[in-house]
Amino acid sequence: MKKLAYILLFVLSTVGYAQPPIPAKSQAKPVALTGGVAHLGNGQVIQNSIIAFENGKLTIVADATTVKVDLSKHEVIDISGKHVYPGFILPNSQIGLQEVSAIRAMNDYNERGELNPNVRALISYNTDSEYIPTYRFNGVLLAETTPAGGLISGSSSLMEMEGWNWEDAAHTADIGIHLNWPAISRRQFDFNTFTFAESPNKEYDKEVGELELFFSEAVAYGKQTSKEVNLKLEAVQGLFDGSKVLFIHANTSKEIVESVRFAQRSGIQKITMIAGASALWVSDFLKENKIPVILPATHNLPDRNDDDVDLPFKLPHLLAQAGVTVSLSNDGSLHGGRNLAFYAGTAVAYGMSKEDALKTLTSNTAKALGVDKRVGTLEVGKDATLFVSKGDALDYRTNVLSHVYISGKLVALPGIQEELYERYSNKYGHKR
Amino acid sequence: MKKRLLLFIFAVAVYGVHAQETFPRNDVKDNRAGLFAFTNATIVVDAQTTIPNATLLIKGNRIEQVGTNLNVPKGYTTVDLKGKYIYPGLVDAFTSYGLSEPERPRGGGFGGVEQMTTKTKGAYNANQAIRSHYNAADEFSIDTKMADELRKQGFGAVLTSKPDGLARGTSAFVSLTEKNDNTALIRQKAAAHYSLEKGSSTQTYPSSLMGFIAVLRQTYLDAEWFGSQNPRPFADNSLEAWIQTQKLPQVFAATSWMNSLRADKIGDEFGVQYIIRGAGDEYKRINEIKATKATFIIPVNYPDAYDVEDPFDAERISLADMKHWELAPTNLAVLEKNGVPFALTTNGMKKTSDFLTHVRKAIENGLTEATALKALTTTPAQLLKVDDQVGSIKKGLLANFIITSGKLFDEKTIIHQNWVQGQLYAIKPLETRDFSGNYNLSLNNQSYTLEVTGEPGSHKAKVKVNDSTSFDATATFGKELITISFKPTKQSTGNVRLSGWSEATGWKGKGQLVDGTWITWNATRTGDVTKAAAKNTPAEKKEELGKVIYPFTGHGYPALPPAETILIKNATVWTNEADGVLQGTDVLLKDGKIVKIGKNLNEPGARVVDATGKHLTPGIIDEHSHIGAASINDVASNSGMVRIGDNLDSENINIYRALAGGVVAVQVLHGSANPIGGQSALIKLRWGESPENLKIQGADGFIKFALGENVKRTSNASSIRFPQTRMGVEQVFVDAFTSAREYEKRLNAYNTIPLKEKAAAIKPRRDLADEAMLEILNKKRFISCHSYVQSEINMLMEVAERFNFRVNTFTHILEGYKVADKMREHGVAASTFADWWNYKWEVRYAIPYNAAIMHREGVVTAINSDDAEMGRRLNQEAAKSVKYANISEEDALKMVTLNPAKMLHLDNQMGSLKVGKSADVVLWTDHPLSVYARAEKTIIDGKVYYDIEKDAENNKVLHADRARLIQKLKNAKKSGMPTQRPDSRSQAEFHCDDVLGEESLEHFEH
Repeated sequence: MKKLAYILLFVLSTVGYAQPPIPAKSQAKPVALTGGVAHLGNGQVIQNSIIAFENGKLTIVADATTVKVDLSKHEVIDISGKHVYPGFILPNSQIGLQEVSAIRAMNDYNERGELNPNVRALISYNTDSEYIPTYRFNGVLLAETTPAGGLISGSSSLMEMEGWNWEDAAHTADIGIHLNWPAISRRQFDFNTFTFAESPNKEYDKEVGELELFFSEAVAYGKQTSKEVNLKLEAVQGLFDGSKVLFIHANTSKEIVESVRFAQRSGIQKITMIAGASALWVSDFLKENKIPVILPATHNLPDRNDDDVDLPFKLPHLLAQAGVTVSLSNDGSLHGGRNLAFYAGTAVAYGMSKEDALKTLTSNTAKALGVDKRVGTLEVGKDATLFVSKGDALDYRTNVLSHVYISGKLVALPGIQEELYERYSNKYGHKR
Repeated sequence: MKKRLLLFIFAVAVYGVHAQETFPRNDVKDNRAGLFAFTNATIVVDAQTTIPNATLLIKGNRIEQVGTNLNVPKGYTTVDLKGKYIYPGLVDAFTSYGLSEPERPRGGGFGGVEQMTTKTKGAYNANQAIRSHYNAADEFSIDTKMADELRKQGFGAVLTSKPDGLARGTSAFVSLTEKNDNTALIRQKAAAHYSLEKGSSTQTYPSSLMGFIAVLRQTYLDAEWFGSQNPRPFADNSLEAWIQTQKLPQVFAATSWMNSLRADKIGDEFGVQYIIRGAGDEYKRINEIKATKATFIIPVNYPDAYDVEDPFDAERISLADMKHWELAPTNLAVLEKNGVPFALTTNGMKKTSDFLTHVRKAIENGLTEATALKALTTTPAQLLKVDDQVGSIKKGLLANFIITSGKLFDEKTIIHQNWVQGQLYAIKPLETRDFSGNYNLSLNNQSYTLEVTGEPGSHKAKVKVNDSTSFDATATFGKELITISFKPTKQSTGNVRLSGWSEATGWKGKGQLVDGTWITWNATRTGDVTKAAAKNTPAEKKEELGKVIYPFTGHGYPALPPAETILIKNATVWTNEADGVLQGTDVLLKDGKIVKIGKNLNEPGARVVDATGKHLTPGIIDEHSHIGAASINDVASNSGMVRIGDNLDSENINIYRALAGGVVAVQVLHGSANPIGGQSALIKLRWGESPENLKIQGADGFIKFALGENVKRTSNASSIRFPQTRMGVEQVFVDAFTSAREYEKRLNAYNTIPLKEKAAAIKPRRDLADEAMLEILNKKRFISCHSYVQSEINMLMEVAERFNFRVNTFTHILEGYKVADKMREHGVAASTFADWWNYKWEVRYAIPYNAAIMHREGVVTAINSDDAEMGRRLNQEAAKSVKYANISEEDALKMVTLNPAKMLHLDNQMGSLKVGKSADVVLWTDHPLSVYARAEKTIIDGKVYYDIEKDAENNKVLHADRARLIQKLKNAKKSGMPTQRPDSRSQAEFHCDDVLGEESLEHFEH
């Protein structure tokens, strides 16, 4: 009998462990976080803060040393000695669209064909992705789920890292269209020399021509009074009225300039560039044209042998100094998304101030995604999507979260990884 | 007409007929004696001896006599070569002249269905890339186009081999005659050839540089074993040929200075001194090249200048490529200065016609003419043991020589004739009529002065109306005929056109005036042109050349860092010893060791580094890295015979990048494509040193094993390679160890045979894979096993225990937390990722608490990178165990220092700050586990290999050198030199997981 009981217990607990965490309940009561160091995400810091929110929106963002407020109706949580941050935003990610990359069935982000503005990432978005709890765990509370591949990959959406299903989790649906600008030259691996060799892309003019034609027809389509509905042309109309962002992925300096000029010629209002170190060579151009740039992770190798060894580390600082609005992303495997904070920490080690580095994960990203009215900073009226950390959230040993709120909902931190940690620590009788 | 020498009328290229006895005739007999006397020439017998005013007699295809005051016997056709030079016909020691191009079929790589055995039909070697049975002589046939190109550069004979395979068979030594193949073929088996290129083989193994080396080494061993048996155990035409051709000159084709060193090392192991076909980049590491003691065959294939008009595009060219463009022409001079013997070759040149120009450029850059000539005559002739046939102008040798207008390497010199085996091949007319002088030109009752200047064959003409007015004329001087055309007045819209013939005193002939009127004209020589005093042109300023840097890549050093005595003052010192973390402490480094640790230390003469507010830690050690290797994966299920150490790449920029992250040593591991991978190399990141000097001397031997998805070839749906399941993986191990035990028995049995019976016994075949397995069983080589899921971890421990040894390290080991107790019992160490997971199925349950659980369970645990990017911030990866699992900071730091040192058996010399240990330390700007910490100094063996300030200075030097070279390239383009697109080449980054498995192929094609 005893044995059976153990077995039953085991089975039950296994079932419990095999599932992702249960989504949180809506905010029932106003919450006030008091005494913490508040990093607002716009460069400002309040050393002794009161941060309160109700119905998922921030209601108070104040300095406790100067402002006295009545918190009697609030659930008051003393976070003295801790730090509070706006939720980090991870842009340009396949979160929810890919699980185990090596398994074909688990990849859902790359539709066939070259021109797919009509496909929408959030349709594939899996709220039960096991990456999501790991992102939240380190402060990433919002992410742009983004299709990839082709010339126009499709439309991306901003998702909350929480929710029962994609409709629940969608923060802002269809924020923009992703365009992969054709490469002027291509890299190919040469097995004889074990090196990559570059050669001109013979298809470049043809591919650019295809895009030119598509966008000019889209403009014309928008002006037609009676028309047969075209899903592809329809999908890009938001680009011409500024309701959607055109995200351009470009590699080289020339591609950056050429693609931005192309988009401007096509009458596209909001452009965000997704590029790497080559942006540095045309930083003046990007600044003058007010193009925000989403950079890859700082934890990358330089592109070229001759580059300064620390170029990827200092790139955010160098570009920001040149007057460009910079945000950071995770360009490698999806599991790296949880390290977003440390990409910014590295930028601090190489010249940026901590608060500027925080912007590359929050307000700057919100601007680049066109969602800065609702998220990106701790300001009254914005979403109560924020977290409390033991200390400096940009450094490893102090990025230890105690409270995570997404639109006011208190979200549980542990995921499967924590549960496995617990299970095996218990097995060995380890103190955690 | 000052001189008049005998001229030949050249209607066709080939003269002289020496019929071959056995050939049928289709005409009357036309056997000529082929007796020629070349008189009054300056004869360059060889690089040492030049005879002025000498005579050369040839008879048929041989040289009959050379010397001064020779009487020309009757019956000889005399050629007066006054003012001309005779040189030996040049010898190209490395061509594939007259052979078909090797086929380059697709396949032989990693993707698709593996080809496990050779596809060569017949009783040939088990490996398709061993083509020692091939003989160029069997295939050779005259290629008139290439022969003509080579003869125009002065060549009379060449070595020709087929560039196909690791063992390429024999070459033939052939002349550049066009008579017939039978005449051209001088020696059938001239040399035996080898390379580190697989060629047309489609067999999957070997597919890496280290695999190529392993196959050559194994073939030497196989040949020894095979050759020692009579009768042979089986037929193998390739091994038979290999054995027979060992006595020939052994020529190894290398494609870089690094491959030259690799080839030489193979030769050293088997007692062979190769002649090495170099790459033209030997100047980059001349000391190591010299130390090979090899004679080289060097191409003069200088790269074209890069087109740098567009500054964005120019950024793509690496400093290394630009520097090589600049310094390649100095290569031969550097070789000469260092006493490295060499021959020259046109091999690898885009245009053979640039050959002499390129040699002249080398001479401008310091190569002596004598050495250049030697490299084209006696050196190759002696090297290939054909100096009794070619290479000098001596009695009895083949009548291979060239007639030139002057010294061969003078810029203006032209080659008139190339005689091959007593047959003449005319190149430029042996122009001997000198028309220079002033002439009185009279036509249409007017008189002009016609001034003819310049050398015979390239005369220029000018027509003077009076002393102040003259017109350039277009003039063509034939042997008898002349054509002149000029403008009679400044205003004239047309030309006067004259055609005429030579007379004793000048010319006369007919012509047409501008208006078309026909006239007669004549020109009478009145005297010599008074030569204008040579303009005193200031000696051309010698352009300054950049310096060789070590390694030869951006961020290389002009000189290696010196050994220093360094006193680090007032640091926070992480000892990794019982002392723990010491505040305000000094550390003295001297003679490459940690000499003192304490307060208020003093050391006269030491360089003092103020480390107030800074942290000093032992250098970081990465248990799992792939930086600094030219290739990392071969494909045999048991690849135990391949060795990473055979293909280290000291020029890899990731070595410097890792240094900048505080890394001092890494284990360069084989990849994870096979259950049994290759042998590791343990290196210190001594940036700038040669590949061999990176190795940690005396370190234990390690080998890579792997389990799971990669070795099952999961991502290659068409793979047929055994094993395809984890069940099969276990069998690979059991099979390998069982086989090794059997192997040991055979060896022991042989070794215990009494001495007098030994001669009759057959020595067992040495097998490089079995040897590696035996080393494991005998605890002389240690396993680092790529592993993920718990079942396979248990399996390998169980197999090891069955064979009575222990697994040294599980690397990656992402499910180690599930079996940490068993691991502790087995005594295996763990080297894992901090937080990677979910990129494939077998890592789905990887957790960032893995290191902490294994550590707490008593397993020696390290954090590794497997990645050049992560490898340069392993201190941060260690910090993740503090963040996630609250591991103590000291224990976390040990996971990237002391613990990896333990698992690499280096902890007696590295891994902690302890007096007597190697001075391998890092000074950090901040707490070493902080994201804000930067390595300020990385010190190895007491030498500062990375210094944050020096790095900033060096970056400026790098940019300045780039700017200088870009200007130089621009000038080169302006001056009309050929240019090439600025397409960059960059090194590959290796991961054992996704590189060089099929995944990697996709990865590379993206």
